[in-house]
Amino acid sequence: MTNEEKIIAEKLGKENPFRVPEGYFDHFAEQFMNELPERQVVVPAHRSRLKVLRPILMAAACLCIAIFSITLYLNRSQDVPEQTPVAAANTVDETYMDEAADYVMLDNADIYACLSE
Amino acid sequence: MTPPLSEKELLLMLNNPQTQRQAFGIIVQQYSERLYWQVRRLILNHDDADDVMQNALLKAWNNIGSFRSDSKLSTWLYRIVINESLDFIRRQKNITALSTDNELSGIANTLMADKYFDGDEAQAKLQAAIALLPEVQRTVFNLRYYEDMKYSEISKILNTSEGALKASYHIAVKKISEYFKQHD
Repeated sequence: MTNEEKIIAEKLGKENPFRVPEGYFDHFAEQFMNELPERQVVVPAHRSRLKVLRPILMAAACLCIAIFSITLYLNRSQDVPEQTPVAAANTVDETYMDEAADYVMLDNADIYACLSE
Repeated sequence: MTPPLSEKELLLMLNNPQTQRQAFGIIVQQYSERLYWQVRRLILNHDDADDVMQNALLKAWNNIGSFRSDSKLSTWLYRIVINESLDFIRRQKNITALSTDNELSGIANTLMADKYFDGDEAQAKLQAAIALLPEVQRTVFNLRYYEDMKYSEISKILNTSEGALKASYHIAVKKISEYFKQHD
């Protein structure tokens, strides 16, 4: 017992200062049981399956968005071509062919006709 | 006079629909007095305490199917009764909001005028000082000081850690003793 507890106990004791009407406890149980209705079965509220799964679905959605965003970001950075010698040569070839076609005034249809012969 | 039934015997009777009502009657008979005093110390007034007891026991009856025998029957009943008392106190607080000083003398005067209160002025003030504590401190103080209940048991009733309960009790004791030191 602490000092503070001792002060309270010495001054005021632990005696119960409350009283009840005479015979209250003698009749309480009997009176209560006489008025007790039939038991109303309290059914615990079932959470719907969607409610139970909601946090999991939200987490899965966040994960999907994250994976999609990362994939998209990585693909974009891979799309920017590095100028390898072969790619540079191809670019030069295409430019040259376009200029040549302009010079001889050939359009695409003429070129395809030429190639098919 | 028949000896009180053990908790195991009562649970067997409760699980049988044929004897369920009879078992609950025995429970009310065996536990109502202990439960009432706990309610009364929180509520202070007999008529209100009686109402709270009726409501709490009705709730216990309707929810008896949800009682799990992993806790003691008395712990479960104490929990229902204390929750019902604290709900009542919260509702009352919304109705009457007074300043602390007025509240303390108001509660003490009301108790002194109550025909079901036998204490002197100092005891009325002690009850008023307890009534003004926050609800956890108030409940722990009553269970520990008046009923000598173990912290492990209080912890199960209030669903709070023993450490937190010890701290609450210590603060409550300090507040009450300081109040009496100041007013000596």
